Amino acid sequence: MSATRADSIGATDRPMEGLGVYNLKLGMWVFLLSEVMFFASLIGAYIVLRFANPEQWAEPGAVLNVPLTAFNTFMLICSSVTMVKAFAAIEHGDQRGLRRWLLATVVLGAAFVSIQVFEYIELAHHGFVPMVSQYAAEGGPLYGATFYTLTGFHGAHVTIGVLALIFTAVKAFRGGYSEYDYGGVEIVGLYWHFVDLVWIILFTIVYLI
Amino acid sequence: MTAEESQESSTPNYYLVWFYLLVLTVAEVGVAFISGLPETWLILILLALAVWKAALVAMYYMHLKFEPPRLVLTVIAPLPLAILITIVVLMEGF
Amino acid sequence: MTTTATTAERVPNVSVQHWAEPGHEDDRSFWRKYVFSTDHKVIGSQFLFLSLFFLFVGGALAMMMRWQLGFPGEPMPGGGVFGQAKAVQGILLPEFYNSLVTMHGTFMIFFAIMPLLVGVFGNWLIPLHVGAADMAFPRLNMASFWTAVPAGVLMLASFWVTGGAAGAGWTAYPPLSAVPEFSGVSMGQKLWCVSIAVLGFSSLMGAVNYITTIVNMRAPGLGWMRLSLPVWALFITAILILLAIPVLTGAAILLLFDQTIGTAFFLPEAGGQPLLWQHLFWYFGHPEVYILILPAMGIASEVIANGSRKPIFGYRFMVAAIVTIAFLGWIVWGHHMFQSGMNPLLGTSFMFSTMVIAVPSAIKTFNWLGTMWRGDLHFHVPMLNAVAFVAMFIIGGLSGIFMASTPIDIYIHDTYFIVAHLHYVLFGGSLFAIFAGIYFWFPKFFGKMLNPTLGKIHFWTSFVFFNLVFFPMHNIGLKGHMRRIYDPTQYEWLAEIQPMNTFMSVSAFLLGTAQLLFLANIVWSLWKGEDAPPNPWKANTLEWSIPSPAPHGNFEEMPTVYRGPYEYSAPEREEDHWPMGEPGPGEERPPPEEQRRKEAAG
Repeated sequence: MSATRADSIGATDRPMEGLGVYNLKLGMWVFLLSEVMFFASLIGAYIVLRFANPEQWAEPGAVLNVPLTAFNTFMLICSSVTMVKAFAAIEHGDQRGLRRWLLATVVLGAAFVSIQVFEYIELAHHGFVPMVSQYAAEGGPLYGATFYTLTGFHGAHVTIGVLALIFTAVKAFRGGYSEYDYGGVEIVGLYWHFVDLVWIILFTIVYLI
Repeated sequence: MTAEESQESSTPNYYLVWFYLLVLTVAEVGVAFISGLPETWLILILLALAVWKAALVAMYYMHLKFEPPRLVLTVIAPLPLAILITIVVLMEGF
Repeated sequence: MTTTATTAERVPNVSVQHWAEPGHEDDRSFWRKYVFSTDHKVIGSQFLFLSLFFLFVGGALAMMMRWQLGFPGEPMPGGGVFGQAKAVQGILLPEFYNSLVTMHGTFMIFFAIMPLLVGVFGNWLIPLHVGAADMAFPRLNMASFWTAVPAGVLMLASFWVTGGAAGAGWTAYPPLSAVPEFSGVSMGQKLWCVSIAVLGFSSLMGAVNYITTIVNMRAPGLGWMRLSLPVWALFITAILILLAIPVLTGAAILLLFDQTIGTAFFLPEAGGQPLLWQHLFWYFGHPEVYILILPAMGIASEVIANGSRKPIFGYRFMVAAIVTIAFLGWIVWGHHMFQSGMNPLLGTSFMFSTMVIAVPSAIKTFNWLGTMWRGDLHFHVPMLNAVAFVAMFIIGGLSGIFMASTPIDIYIHDTYFIVAHLHYVLFGGSLFAIFAGIYFWFPKFFGKMLNPTLGKIHFWTSFVFFNLVFFPMHNIGLKGHMRRIYDPTQYEWLAEIQPMNTFMSVSAFLLGTAQLLFLANIVWSLWKGEDAPPNPWKANTLEWSIPSPAPHGNFEEMPTVYRGPYEYSAPEREEDHWPMGEPGPGEERPPPEEQRRKEAAG
C-alpha cells in the first residue's frame, strides 16, 4: 500500500500521507464512528432501563415474532453479500455485475424494511405500543418504547441506505462508475455493512436476550 | 507484502463469510431457545456470538482487515468510549 | 484481481485538488458566491454573521434577566412589547424569566460560542493552515451551514409559540422538561429538542469535514508536529464533536418521544430514569465544555506567540495538553451530577479524574506565560484579548477546582458561584479568545483592518465591566444566592445583598453596550476600513503568504512547508518572522506541481 507514495520523486512535493485512504472513505469511516456513539447511547439507555425494570420485559419470543425476524436477519446478511459482490464487480470493471448486484441489494433491503413494517403493524394490533397509556401486551411500556426506538432508528438507517443504494444504482446504470472511480460504491457499501452490523447486535439484545 | 499475498487477501471468499454468518445466526437462535442454559451463561454466549458476527462483517465486508493499520486503529480507538458510557450508566441501574 | 496499492492509486487520491489557474476570473454567480457557496472562507464568514446574531440575541436575553435580578418587580423599560402573557405592564413574569434563562444558555452555548469557535475558525483556518484549496467535502460543508440556519430559526421561533420558549434550563432535566404541566411550556420544549437534534447534524457534518481535511490534505512538509495550534485544537475538538454530539442527539430524541408520543424513558412513574438523561446529557456535556474552550486555547496560543514575537513555549507540551484534556474530558462528566444522588463510588472517581485535568490546563497556562516572558511584546488588539483570555481562564479554572471537590460542591452547587465560574470560562475565556481571533483574522477574509482604536476601547470596557459583573457572583454565590432564581429579594438573607445585584446589573448593561462598539467596528471597517496588507501581523502561517482578502481557491499552487508556525525572532534572520512556506538557505524549492505531474507520468 505504500506504493502510492512515489518516494522516488521526493516526499516534499506531495501532500502528507494522512491515513492512506482517499477522502471519501475516511469521511465515511469517521461518520460511522459517530453512528457508533449514537447507537451506543440508545443501547445504553435500553440496557439501563431493562436492568432497572426486569419485570417489564417478557420472555424472549413471547411477544416478539422471533422466527420472522430471524428470517429478516438472514435477508439483511444476504444483502451484505450482494453489496460486497457489487463492489468486487466494479473493482474489476464489471459494469453488468455491478448493476445486478446493486439491484439485488436494493430489493433485499426494501424487503427488510417491508417485513419490519409488517411486524410493527402486527405488534401494534396486539397492544405492543411505545405509549405508556395504551400499552396492553405482556411486559411493560418500557419494553415497547425501547423496542420501537432501537429497531425504529435502525429501520430508518436501512431506509436511508436503500435510498442511497437506489441513487447509486441509477448512477451505475448511467455508467457513472468504473474500475478507476468506484469510491461511491465503496462508501455506500461501508454504510450498508455498518447497518447490517448494528442489526446483528440489535437482533441479539432485543430479540434473543 | 508480496503481490501474491495481497492478491489473495484483497478478495476474500465472501460466500464463506456469509455461510459463517448464517451458521452463527442459527446457533444464536438455537442457544436462545433450545439450550436451556442458565441466564447468565446464555447472555454471555449470545453477546459473544453477536460480537463475533459483527467482527466478521467489519473485517471482511467492510474490508477492515485489508486497510492500513492506522485506519484500523482510528476505527477501534473510540469503541472504549461507547462501552464506558454503557457501563457507567449501568452502575446507576443497580 | 486488485491489490490495495492499486486501489489507492486508482480512486481519487488526496493529492488531486483543483488549484486555481493563476489570474483566473471568478465567474460564479452571486448566489453561488455568497449564499450557497462551497468556499470554506465564505462559509466561515456566514457562520460569523449567524453566530454574532445569536450572540447578540443571547446577550439581549441576559440583559433582561439582569433587569429582573437588579430591579425585581419593577417594570422593564420597553417590557411592554412582550405582551401580557410574558410581562405584565413590563414586569417580567416568572415563567418568562425561566424561558430567558433557558434560551440565554442555549443560544450562547449552541448557537453563539460553539459556531463562533468551530464553525467560524474551523472553516476559516483549517484549509488555509494545512495548505489546501478547500475542505475535503465542500458541498457537505455548505450543507452544514444551511442545516444550522433552520435549527437556529426553530429555536428563535419558539419564543412566539403558545406557552413560549423552553423553560427547563439549557440542561433540560426531565421530568421538568418532559411534562408540560411542570414547566408550563409544551411546544417550546419540543422545539428545543428538535432544534438541538437538527443542530447536531450540522455539527456532525462539520466535524467529518474537519477531521478528513486535517488528516488527509496537509501540504507537503506539513507534518503533525508542524501544525499550528489552532488547527490542532480544532482537530481534537472535531473528534469530541464527532463522538459526543450523537449522544446528545439520541438523548434529545428520547426526550422528544417522552414529550410527544407518551413514552416514559425519563419518567419515574412508569419505570423510566431521570438520572439516565443526566448521564447521557453530561456524557455529551462535558466534552462540550472542552469543545467550547480548546479552540479558544488554540487561537490564544497563535496570537500570543505572534504578539510576543517568540516561538510558542513548549509546542509539544501544548499539543500533548490539548490531547490529554480532551481524553480526560470523557471521563469526568459525573462531576456535574455530584448532587444528583448518584452512586458515591462513581462520585469519588469522577472527583479524582476532574482534579487531574488541572495538570494539562496548568501546563498550557504556564506555557503561555513562558511564551510572553522576555518577549518583544506587541499589545495589538488581538494580543490584548488573548492575554485577557489567559487571565480570565486562570480565574475560571481555579474556581473550577473548588467545584470539583465533592465536599465543597455540596455547599456551592447550583449557586451563583457556578454562574461566576462558567462565565469566567465561557465569556472571559472563550469569548475573549474569539474577539482576539476575529480581530486577528478579519483582515484576511474581508480585506479590511478592524479599527484598532475602537478595538482598544471595546477591549478595555469589556474587560473592566466583565469583571464587575461576574466577580461579585462568586461572593453572592457563597452567600447562598441560587442560580436561575427569579426574585432574590423574597429571601431575607438575599434581600440584604440586593445592592450587589443592582450593581452587577448596571455593570451588565454597560458590558452589553460595550459590545455594540464591536458591532459598530465591524460595520464601519467593512464599509470604510483601512485596506489590509497581506500580512498585517507579520505572522508565519500559510494564509499570510496570499493576498488579503484570500482569493477563491486559496493558493495558486500547492504550497510547501519548511518549518513550524512559530519561528519568530530566529537569530539567523534579519526579519523577526519566518513564514512556513519560505525556504531557508540551502532548502531547495521542489519542482512545481505541473512539473511533478509530468515526471510522475514519464
